[in-house]
Amino acid sequence: MTKAIFVFICSCLLLTPIIYNAGEVSSSFQMICCLPFLLFLGIPHGAIDNVLYMRNNKVSNTKFIAVYLVFVGVNVVLWILIPGIAYLLFLLLSAYHFGQSQYTHYFARQQLPHQVFFLFWGVSVLSGMIYLNIEEIYQIMNSYEDFAVFSSLHQQDVMYWLFIVSTGLTVLSMFIFHIRKDLTLEAVFMEILILGLILLCFFLMPLMIGFTLYFVILHSFKVLREEYNYLNSENIVTSVKGFVKLVAPFTLLSIIGIAMLFGLIYLEIWSLSYGYMLLIVISSITLPHVYVMNGFYNFLFSKGFFKMSSRGQ
Amino acid sequence: MILLDVLTIPKDDPIAFTFFTGYMAMLAASIFFFFERGRVAGKWKLSLLVSALITFIAAVHYYYMRDYYLATGENPTALRYIDWTLTVPLMCVEFYLLTKAAGAQVGLMWRLIAASVLMLVAGYIGEAFNPPGGDTGHSVMWGVISTVGYVYVLYTAWFGEVAKLAEASNSEVVKTGVRTLAWFVLVGWAIYPIGYMCMPGGWLNSALGWSSANVDLFYNIADAINKIGFGLVVYNIAITSTNQAETA
Repeated sequence: MTKAIFVFICSCLLLTPIIYNAGEVSSSFQMICCLPFLLFLGIPHGAIDNVLYMRNNKVSNTKFIAVYLVFVGVNVVLWILIPGIAYLLFLLLSAYHFGQSQYTHYFARQQLPHQVFFLFWGVSVLSGMIYLNIEEIYQIMNSYEDFAVFSSLHQQDVMYWLFIVSTGLTVLSMFIFHIRKDLTLEAVFMEILILGLILLCFFLMPLMIGFTLYFVILHSFKVLREEYNYLNSENIVTSVKGFVKLVAPFTLLSIIGIAMLFGLIYLEIWSLSYGYMLLIVISSITLPHVYVMNGFYNFLFSKGFFKMSSRGQ
Repeated sequence: MILLDVLTIPKDDPIAFTFFTGYMAMLAASIFFFFERGRVAGKWKLSLLVSALITFIAAVHYYYMRDYYLATGENPTALRYIDWTLTVPLMCVEFYLLTKAAGAQVGLMWRLIAASVLMLVAGYIGEAFNPPGGDTGHSVMWGVISTVGYVYVLYTAWFGEVAKLAEASNSEVVKTGVRTLAWFVLVGWAIYPIGYMCMPGGWLNSALGWSSANVDLFYNIADAINKIGFGLVVYNIAITSTNQAETA
């Protein structure tokens, strides 16, 4: 069990009954509660993409940022022209990235079967999140006009089968990896338990709170830890304080940017819902981040980083 | 005339069934651990004795609880918690005994006992003083306090002193054994909150409509898994270590 998993289990045990007991929580209240965690603990894990990318590629910081912004721009254009496709792309990339970050420390390499497995796991988690909160999602889509475009993508039957099939394939793949000696039996049981806990968390919690718990603790903390361990092993940072200093500039820049966009909506200069705007922003950050992290993990595998570090910790 | 002369087990009552099988399984496990104690090396004898005591204390309580349940059809809450107050700290003693050779201090044992007592006392207040008809706020509050004790034991077993000492023991048998016991704490002990949440006012009771009768069903299953399973893991460590020492 990793410490992130331990923190997630404790948070679920302690928070779930309290939040469940609180009854129905409005989406705006959820956003107020979750936004600080997403901004201050979620964004930092992608705030040093430039540092990670430049360790493995000969490219200047300016060039990296320019290409990064082009990615963001293309994504925004996609959201304007074909929001349905942009949304699907965002979900698929996120699914892959979530699966990848969850499992990399178990494997000694990253080949196509592993990558397909990452996608299965991520689709299971995301389709589970949507299926188990389908009523709340319908409510949001009915309340905000800009979300209406996604209504055809959230049909209950489709989500149900996607969830069942992807979860089945995920569990089956775990046992295949066990037979191939990529995963120990203990790791298989632990990961089944974690998948079950994540889904239980989505079932019991309101949509955004459930997602924030998973995203911040299981995803962001784990990636931050891996980033810190790597940078520490390369003597780029020697303390947590140094690491915080490294992630701070782009984290703050992103938060200021989001605050400015919120301001535009508040002043009615931009007629979008806050949630929809946040979705576009997150997807725009996600697109280049997934690419950078995929390269970063490949780089770590090539250096045998996960073999050297304590696997599973 | 004893109660069993006049009371029979209803065919459709799995709770009564698990009380009886639980009682016999605990008793059988006690006899097994007592007898097997003679086959293991001296340093493991106390561990086996504690395992036997855990299942024996539980067997005696199950003897009374099955009668109480058959006679009244109610949850034997007080008997249940008396049993746990004695047996759960003994499980913490097992952790200490297993890691003692690697340098565990008595303080570790007392900290684990204190955490388990917090877990049990809060659980007892949550369950025994639940107002008639149930109060979700009451059960949630005491459930959360109880969970704090559980989380401490869980942390110690997986990352804290117990895990570190097991790692430092240089014995694969102890490492694997402690890890297995940590799994018992993670999964086996987690069955108890499911039972707790089935009581009136508990959120499995109010949200999913799970009957309060399920409280005993889950507790009985959890007890059988944890007490006997826990003892069997300790037995496995002891007998494997003894066999290894003999063949070396």
